[in-house]
Amino acid sequence: MSEDFKPKIIYFMCSWCGTGGSETASAHHLYYPENVIPFRVNCTGAISPLHLLRAFVEGADGIVISGCHPGDCHYNDGNFRARRRVASIKSILDSLGLGADRVWFRYVAHGEGKRFADTAAEFNEHIKNLGPNPLKERKET
Amino acid sequence: MKGTTLPVEKDLNQTLIDFLKKGLESGGFDAVLLPSRVPSGDSFAYLLIKNPSLLEEATPLPPVMPVQGAKAVSSLTQYGKTNQKILAAMRPCEIRAATELSKLKQAELENILFLSLDCPGALPLSDYLENPREKDKVFQEALENRKTESMRPVCQVCREFSTTTGDLHVGRWGAEKGRVFLISSSEQGKKIQETMGNQGDQSVDSWESKVKELKEQRLQERAQFHEDLKTKAGGPDKLLEFFNQCINCHNCMRACPVCYCRQCYFDSEAFDLPVDDFLKRAKKKGSLRLPTDTLLFQLGRMSHMVHSCVSCGTCEDACPMDIPVAQLFSLVADQTQKLFQYSPGRNREEPLPFSVYKEEEFHEVETPYRKTYSKGEGKNA
Repeated sequence: MSEDFKPKIIYFMCSWCGTGGSETASAHHLYYPENVIPFRVNCTGAISPLHLLRAFVEGADGIVISGCHPGDCHYNDGNFRARRRVASIKSILDSLGLGADRVWFRYVAHGEGKRFADTAAEFNEHIKNLGPNPLKERKET
Repeated sequence: MKGTTLPVEKDLNQTLIDFLKKGLESGGFDAVLLPSRVPSGDSFAYLLIKNPSLLEEATPLPPVMPVQGAKAVSSLTQYGKTNQKILAAMRPCEIRAATELSKLKQAELENILFLSLDCPGALPLSDYLENPREKDKVFQEALENRKTESMRPVCQVCREFSTTTGDLHVGRWGAEKGRVFLISSSEQGKKIQETMGNQGDQSVDSWESKVKELKEQRLQERAQFHEDLKTKAGGPDKLLEFFNQCINCHNCMRACPVCYCRQCYFDSEAFDLPVDDFLKRAKKKGSLRLPTDTLLFQLGRMSHMVHSCVSCGTCEDACPMDIPVAQLFSLVADQTQKLFQYSPGRNREEPLPFSVYKEEEFHEVETPYRKTYSKGEGKNA
């Protein structure tokens, strides 16, 4: 692992809890790595597996998805549906040997600023250890 | 399950035709949907037959599968259910795909009865088209000797070759010489047998035990096949090599029975991008292969239909570049369907994996939180 490798990380967060967590983090002056790119969606249940794949194939080194804790979803069941989709995507990536551990799914509540900053930093470290996503450099994707 | 036996005098095709004719004449059903040889003799298409005398030209068990039967059923019922009883004679994978389409509201199966059969597999379409006459003989021989070597690779490791999801099932395994079983696998199937005056309550234990035995053997072969494929196509480099010849024609998507989107995302404007976008990507990667997004198409299609994939092999037949897509899809489908404890086409009432959820499940995908990670407030983590 080279020291100057800065992974490109897409952080999918729902507009209720996930982004709320990032607001709380900013209110508490918590920092997270600058190479983590927040991507706001209405609900994690609205993320199509295709969004994740497109990010994954076209240049992201890792993907984190943060929605509300179970039972807290603004739309009642979006986070449960998202969990099924993530399970499915992970299974596809795993069976093809594309690195299912480059996708993380972790609940972050509105008030959990530290948990948000921690997740971003921890995932960044995790991807740094894994190295760059081999697909992003390939021209034939 | 219970059933009766039918005599096989000339060949299996003729037995099936005689049975369908009798059913059509006695009013067991009002029309028959089944494959027939096209006039030029080198391919097969589905025919909806009302006139019993035209059944003579039909081939209920064709050597190849140019059109997946579920597509025929879907196009037949796109405006709703039929009022007449239609008996569709198909391979088990076609019936299972039709069941999946009914869950996706793209086929209406009320009043459609299915006649399945112990499938011997299908020959690769491109092989068949090279020499139809010769290949007809190969298929007939394989059917008689119960061999699968000449069949498509996905057929050779098919585990659902005798799945009875329809109403009637023609069983070849475990039958006496010169006879086949006709098994009623639903109430409606029983009714048809009654209407036709068949003694439908004979035991089919010998068929059941033989199928069980064969299935166990196939499951082992399938596991080994997938294991080998994983070493051949697993990982980014090998996977890209696997799809290297893809010309992005989307034939696999069009031929696939369970590729259900009315408008494919990959045919949509999401991929009509200004040239600057491509240049940006080319700069990032050094160069960019055109047409773009071939791997994304395959993975994206997979993410959409992998729960419903019945491993019928139609995508592989449709591929002009002979990429063994169906084999790879069956590998991913097996693993993903197992995860969701879902089997496509098993039951019409079983909901699709993405249409339901449970509160307590898949906790293994939730990455556990380690509390003491960041270095505290105000410091760069």
